[in-house]
Formats: sequence, C-alpha cells, structure tokens
Amino acid sequence: MKKWWTKHSTLLVTLLLLLPGFLTFFGLFFYPFVTTVLLSLRPEGQKTGWTLQHYITFVSEPHYREVVVLTFTLAIATTLLSIFLSIPLSLILRRKLRGHRFFRTMILVPLVVPGMIAALGLLLIYGNRGWFNLFLRDVLPFINGPLRINYTVQGLILFYVWLYFPYTCLTTLSALEGLDPGIEEAAEVSGANRWKVLRHIVLPLIMPGVLAGSVLTFMASFGAFSIPLIAGGNFRPLAVEVYKQIEIFIPGRWSMGSAMAVMMGLMQVLFLSVYMRFFRTERIQ
Amino acid sequence: MMWDTLRRYVRGLWNGRFILAYTLLVSLSLFIITPFLLILVKSLGKEWFGYRWLPPKVTLDWYKWAFEIARVPEVMKNTLIIAALAILMSTTIGICSGWAFGRRHLPGKEALMSIVLLPRMIPPITYALGVAQIFYALKLVDTHFGVALAHVSICAPFAILVLSSTFQSLDDRVLEAAGVCGASPVRTFFHVTLPMIMPGILSSMIFTFSTSYNELTLTLMTYGPDTITLPVRTYLAVGLGYWEVTSAMSVILVIPSFLILILIQRRVAPEKLLGGFKGL
Repeated sequence: MKKWWTKHSTLLVTLLLLLPGFLTFFGLFFYPFVTTVLLSLRPEGQKTGWTLQHYITFVSEPHYREVVVLTFTLAIATTLLSIFLSIPLSLILRRKLRGHRFFRTMILVPLVVPGMIAALGLLLIYGNRGWFNLFLRDVLPFINGPLRINYTVQGLILFYVWLYFPYTCLTTLSALEGLDPGIEEAAEVSGANRWKVLRHIVLPLIMPGVLAGSVLTFMASFGAFSIPLIAGGNFRPLAVEVYKQIEIFIPGRWSMGSAMAVMMGLMQVLFLSVYMRFFRTERIQ
Repeated sequence: MMWDTLRRYVRGLWNGRFILAYTLLVSLSLFIITPFLLILVKSLGKEWFGYRWLPPKVTLDWYKWAFEIARVPEVMKNTLIIAALAILMSTTIGICSGWAFGRRHLPGKEALMSIVLLPRMIPPITYALGVAQIFYALKLVDTHFGVALAHVSICAPFAILVLSSTFQSLDDRVLEAAGVCGASPVRTFFHVTLPMIMPGILSSMIFTFSTSYNELTLTLMTYGPDTITLPVRTYLAVGLGYWEVTSAMSVILVIPSFLILILIQRRVAPEKLLGGFKGL
C-alpha cells in the first residue's frame, strides 16, 4: 500500500489539482447546457414528456429564419469590416509614430467598458439630434436631413464594429510586431517596391494572426447580447430573441428559448469548425 | 497620360502619409471616445432640447437622482461583492488547475485543456437558461454567492489559461539555483516563486474583475431585487427611458473600467486581453 502510494502520489496530486477546473466545467457549463437541452425537449411549461415541437417551430417559421439570417449578417459584416479597419490601422501603429501609446490605449477602451454603457453612448451620439448628425448638418450641409442610424441594421453593424474590432486589431498588431524585419529587408534588397513587399510578403505572413483575431470578433458578435438588447430596436439577433422568450411572455417560454439557445450553440460550433478548417488558422490562444 | 496623373496622385498621398495616418488615428479615437464624452455632457446638462451641440444649463441633479432613486451606492456594493467572490473562486480554481496544466506531465493535456476552455468559445446565453433553472432549484438565485458562481463559469477558464501559461514559464533552474544556494523550500517559495508568478496572478485577477463587472447575460438570469448589479441597473434604467439619470449612473459605472484600463496599459501586455475575457 505504502509503495503504491509513493509510486502514484504525483499522479494523484495532479488529478486533485485538476479537479476544481473540471468541477467548474461540468457543474457550471456542461450540466447547465444539458439542462437546457432537456428543457428544450419538454412541452412548454411541463416537467415530463418529450417533444420536438420547439425545434420544428424554429426551423419552419419564417420569423426565426429571418432572425438567423440577421444574426449571421451582423456577425459576418462586423468581422469583414473589422479586418478592413484593422490592417491599415496596425500598419500605421506599427511605425511607432509620436503618441502611438495613446492610440494603442484607445483601441483597448471597447474591451474594458461594459457593453451597456457603450450602447447608451452610441445611441446618444448617433441619434437624430446627436453630435454625429449635428456634425453632418454643420460641416457637410449637402447631406439631406439627419441620417437615421439608430435602430437600423447598418447602425447595429456600426455599433458592433465599435465594440468588437479590437479583438482583430490587437492580434493583427501583435502578428505584425512579431514579424522578422529581416524578411522585409531581404525583399526590399531584392528589388521589391513597398507595395510588393506589403502584398506578397507582409500580408501573407500576418494572415494567420488576422484570421485568428477575426474568429474572436466573429464569436463575440455572433453571441452579442448587450448592444442589440438596448440598441437593436426591432432587429433582434438570436441571443436577444432567446432572452425575449422568457422576458416578454408570461409565463416565460422557457422550452422555446432553450431550443433556440441550443440551435445557436450548434450553429456557432459548426461555423467555427468550418471556418478553422477552411482557413487552417492556429488554435486560438 | 491618365496613368501618369494617377501615379502623381499616389506619390502625393505617400508624401502626405503622416497627415493621412494621423487623420485616421484621430478619427478612430474620436469614434471610440466621443460616446463617453456625450454621456458625460448629457449627465450634466439641463433643458437640452432641439438641435444643439451643448446643453444651455449645467446641473448635478441627475447625480442626486442616481444616488437617491436609482440607489447607485447599494448597487455598486452588490457589484463589488459579487466581483470579489468571483475573483476569489476563479483565482483559486485557476491556481490549482493552472498549476496542473502548466507544471505536470499529463497524457492528453491539449485535449483536456480545450475541454476546460470550451466555455469561452460559446456565448453564455446558450447555457444561461439551464443555469437559471438549476439555480432556482438550488435557491441560489438572488444571492451574491449564486450570481458570483454563475460568473465563475466564464471567469475560471480564463484564469486557468492565464495562470497555466504563467506557471509554464516558471524556470525550474532558477528554483534549483535557490535550493543550491541554501534557501529552504519555504524561503524559495516566498522570495523566488511568488515574485515570479505574482504578475500572472494579478493579471488574471484584473481580467476576472473586468469580466464579472461587465457581465450581463448570466446576471440577468440569476439576479433578484437584492442582487441588482450595475449593468442590470443600467439596462432597467434604459428601459424606463430616463436618459439623463441613466447617463449619470453610467458615468459612475464607467470609472472603474477606465481605472482597469490604466492598470492594463501599465502592467499587462494588451495581447493578453484577447482571452475573450469580456462578458458578451
């Protein structure tokens, strides 16, 4: 017995150390998720019986199809815009211009502020009488009337980009800064001009980083909750729609909400695995 | 001919590249920061109607309302208690399991790690309804511990990730050197190991605080009248439509976030933020 203990004590201690992590995973994630799945298979408001009714409703009703299309539109548009914003921005910030530390800090702001407050500020500034429309009126008077931005899809995409582009931008920046300057110098010495170096050397080399960051942006905007909850108006992506099932209806439609939540999780995992397989991105750190 | 013009144009742009770069940087900063400036102005303004840049009168009334009617101090207390509990639990979990992942040889470590980190990849709303059901049954709803426990489901994976990489970078040779130089294990721990892992533990705590402080989804599922947190309070206030009072509340609410931002900028590499630490 004693011998057995000395032989296996390291392994046992390791397993004991792993225990809290796995308890958290199974108790706070896996068990709730299984509960959600079970809930989605029950008839509304009942504790027994099985039904697939909620999934059939979700697949067959046009309203829910629109919700799914909206969710993907928002997420994909946000991801693409973030990439287009991040690459030039990182190329500039990499040059370490005067005051670059300040601008770097600015990029971190959306990551640390609560989404609710961001949404509130954005609603205020892009409202009909907000500073953005006042700026248009005073500086670009040829644009007719106040632009409607709040509670439209375009506006929602703008808000999403505000909140979620830092994920892409920071990975792009760190990929650029991890680049060996020797490679670029070699290309320049070999007679490539700046554009060619950028197009054929720099961009292909940083692409894995950019894509890994864009996965983060995609995940965040697919599951976005705070912003569309108060700034979405009639446009409700999946996460908000799930919450509305139990907030609006009395009694709450828990089973329907759960079915939608489960479908949302499946879609997210499916899309991510296709995306990663397709682009062969590194594992997200 | 036209090609030539285009070339001159591109050359001109290249010569003015600093102006172009700064224009982009400054407009980005304005894009990011003006919403907060406007919230600040809104919270101080009075009788601000019509198409005006600034309010005609300045007042602190909305802050008084925020304190008396929206009960911001009480809500702040709730938020901080919940965040402290979440930090305590996640850091403990992170230290134990992070040590196992970072320092011990394990068969199939990668696979085990990705299982534990899975909750970060999936939006909390997908399992939040289950959390609500279970917590109702266990009477954890509307307790500080319950809300904090719900937050741990997203905080703990991040703590494990940060701390396991911290522990992994701990150099065995340094520890051995301390032993060779005659330090006792206790002394080695307090004078060598602890200073080396402290930055990692601190950054894990900072991110846990930020996540818990911003978390809305899981809080909405587990809160009650006694555990209203600041994000929930803001959500409820926006629903009621008192923009001025809500702005005053938001100004108070956003101060800790900016303090965290300064801490991160000073002490932690920004790339580490990418653990997707933010509550969606």
